[in-house]
Amino acid sequence: MIKKQFTASARRARNIIWNAAGRYDFEPAFMAFFPNGAPDHYFDMVVGFTEKWLDMEKISAFFERYAHDRRVAEFDEFLWLGLENCVYEKEVAERPILEALRRERAERFFREQENLSRQQMEYQSMSVYTQQQARWSAVLGRRAPLRTPREKRMSEALLFPGALDTDAVIGAMESFLKTFFRFESGPVPAQRAAGTLAKLLLRHEHRRRDRLLVRTGTGEGDHPKAVLLGHEGLGRHAAPTEEDEAYIRAVFGRSAISDAERRTLENDLCVDADADCRVWVTKGEAPDLTLREAADVRESSLRQQERNRAFLDENAAALAHAIKALTTRIETVLSSYLKHLPEPARSGRISPEKAWRLPLLGDDRVFLKNGEEVEQEIFVDLLLDASQSRRNMQELLAAEAYVAAKSLTNLHIPVRVSAFRSIRGHTVLDILKSADRTDCRGTLRFYAGGWNRDSLALRLLGHLDDDPALRGKRRILLIMTDASPNDSSPIAAGGRFLAREYEGDAAVRLTEKAVRELKNDGIRVGAVFHGTSSHLEDLGRIYGHACIRIRKPSQLAQGFSDLLLLLLREMRGD
Amino acid sequence: MEELFSFLANEGIDPSLIDAARRFRDTHPVAEEDRSRIPVPEYFYYGRKTWELALAALLAGKNLLLAGPKATGKNVLSENLCALFGRPMWNVSFHVNADASYLVGTDTYNGQAVVFRPGPIWLCAEKGGFGILDEINMAKNEALAVLHAALDFRRSLDVPGYERIDLREETRFIATMNYGYAGTRDLNEALTSRFAVLDMPVIAGEDLSKLIARRYPSIDGKICSQLVRLYEELEKKAESAEISDSALDLRGLLDAVALMEQGLTSGDALDMCVVNKSFDAYERSLIRDVIAARLPSDLTRDVVFGA
Repeated sequence: MIKKQFTASARRARNIIWNAAGRYDFEPAFMAFFPNGAPDHYFDMVVGFTEKWLDMEKISAFFERYAHDRRVAEFDEFLWLGLENCVYEKEVAERPILEALRRERAERFFREQENLSRQQMEYQSMSVYTQQQARWSAVLGRRAPLRTPREKRMSEALLFPGALDTDAVIGAMESFLKTFFRFESGPVPAQRAAGTLAKLLLRHEHRRRDRLLVRTGTGEGDHPKAVLLGHEGLGRHAAPTEEDEAYIRAVFGRSAISDAERRTLENDLCVDADADCRVWVTKGEAPDLTLREAADVRESSLRQQERNRAFLDENAAALAHAIKALTTRIETVLSSYLKHLPEPARSGRISPEKAWRLPLLGDDRVFLKNGEEVEQEIFVDLLLDASQSRRNMQELLAAEAYVAAKSLTNLHIPVRVSAFRSIRGHTVLDILKSADRTDCRGTLRFYAGGWNRDSLALRLLGHLDDDPALRGKRRILLIMTDASPNDSSPIAAGGRFLAREYEGDAAVRLTEKAVRELKNDGIRVGAVFHGTSSHLEDLGRIYGHACIRIRKPSQLAQGFSDLLLLLLREMRGD
Repeated sequence: MEELFSFLANEGIDPSLIDAARRFRDTHPVAEEDRSRIPVPEYFYYGRKTWELALAALLAGKNLLLAGPKATGKNVLSENLCALFGRPMWNVSFHVNADASYLVGTDTYNGQAVVFRPGPIWLCAEKGGFGILDEINMAKNEALAVLHAALDFRRSLDVPGYERIDLREETRFIATMNYGYAGTRDLNEALTSRFAVLDMPVIAGEDLSKLIARRYPSIDGKICSQLVRLYEELEKKAESAEISDSALDLRGLLDAVALMEQGLTSGDALDMCVVNKSFDAYERSLIRDVIAARLPSDLTRDVVFGA
């Protein structure tokens, strides 16, 4: 999803396909590009029309049947020519411009062929070329190229009529491959059927763009069961030991607060349900790499950091635009909702202490009106859920945090970015960017791994209130979450005989309580939700209406600023 | 104004509502000096159900909140309603600095004494006008608190230090509220409860087609239908958050047709009135792709409006 969302050409191609299909709720199985990387507008429309008029799932499954054949590239080209004719005939009545677009595509074909080098000519299949030439000549009303009788029959067979339905189209494709290539397709082998679309997508993009979309994780964001976390049973849990603390120090770096401060925090926070937990606040400094596990984590987190950075560089233009849009929106929100400093005016509210100037001095600027200047009085904490369940969207989350932090920093609003995860009974808060720093690239240290004890993390961050930038400011805490708190350390048994797992309803209730506590302390809490629909109800329970759902990066600016607006209103008691 | 009444009759609006609106108009004459404030609508709002709901609410003495995404005709409908009821209109846009004094009035010095200079809400109350509270959700709620008494059963405005006035019987307030596809929709409860809320539907293809054909009767039917489809496709794209809603501008689409009538090619006209509404180069390319999939860029006036 990440690369696909932000790769400009691919996003454009996808938009053309969606528009032609009249739907935006699917991921196209095919995209067409010209060799220079620009979307092939006409053929992307053809892909969209195929989605609109035919059952793409069945069509894609048919394409998969010959995916292992060495002639796969040729077959693809032939069959798309057949589909082109079929969907063109279906669509043209409803979209008269299609005729002109088809002609334009045909003209482009001949123009490009003239400019092909000898090497490029050799690279392409002559058989495909002849069929394309025949098709586009016919579209332009030109004389058909010289063809053998077999090639003529092929051209005719590839004119799939518009009256065909999906099964008939598949029949026509089957018959074409059988007649002219003696290819008999069997059913798709079960093990190959899974991930068919992804494979097709890779194959297609690779062939046309010489570029692979390869990444760790699914890259498709979250969906139910995208990442499965299972508890191993309550029996193994015990309160964290010194060994655990040494592990945490080695892996996540030394504590950013003194031992005494940490003990005070634990006395306050690690009570009731969290009685068996510990907290650790770090800035990721000085991990102990002599410990093998720490070195492994370090290595993999550095790899992720590299990926985050590459993602940022690759999408620099899109992200710069996102920062600009978000900065502007936040600025508008702030100027609307923060207190305007009054300035003298000739009309407005009369200022009693200056009223004497009017009769005595003839000074009529004794009124006050709202001035342009706004009192900057907020401090924003951005908290990222860094648990394992975020694995499939690490680059995206790091980039979004970067965009948000950068936009706020541009407006001189102090912002602190932290990530939290729980492991070995410790809830670790990793401060990626402190409020006094204007450089926001610290957010790129973000990586996912571990569990998430949301309630404790929220309370922990709420207690970190000694930052000098916080003085005199009101706090807003924005958490980027999937609203699915889940930790391997159970809820402390208290008076009960048995401890309960920190998951599901119980964990949601504890997180809801933590949010309520923060609100009572005057901290406004809002959630930026990146989870699955199955957790929407929990999201509402925990954060009330102070939440937004981000499905696409393009929604970030509007969603984020709307959330800020909502919290500012709450803050003012509107 | 007979044109608007006959338009409503043609649209199949409940005749009893039309008659009641006519009676309202006849029994509430407008002072000569305020007549220029009665709007003369350039476009008529299409949507039978919405018309009926709005008329019923206003006739029952309620204030109306028109809520909906961009380009659902909120302002067109408010203007149409003012025109139909024959009321002078005061339009209040809620900008960043809008506060209570901007709405109700301010103190000022007239050379001899500090006097009250009435604001639009005051004038509206005093003269029996319709107050259009544009983008009310952009306003600070503290600024709007001053309106609470005017909007509920008390129907009065009380400015400390000055007199208290009662709203004229025919005074109504029509608020509009925009909410985006990705955004939150929010207005405080105290204020919402003082309005009858009309959730504005997105204009139907058939209505849009009628709207274009009414304004430009000689437009070629096929081109008109492609423009309607184009609008629907842009709408879908904005709804899916692939583009912002800046290009989703009904007025822009109609303006484009006006420019074609003036002799611009379809490409240039749509560029000026639709594509360039977005200031993001990439987004413009997405919008152009949608247009290219519907209309050729070289259509001339003769083709668009028939030879």
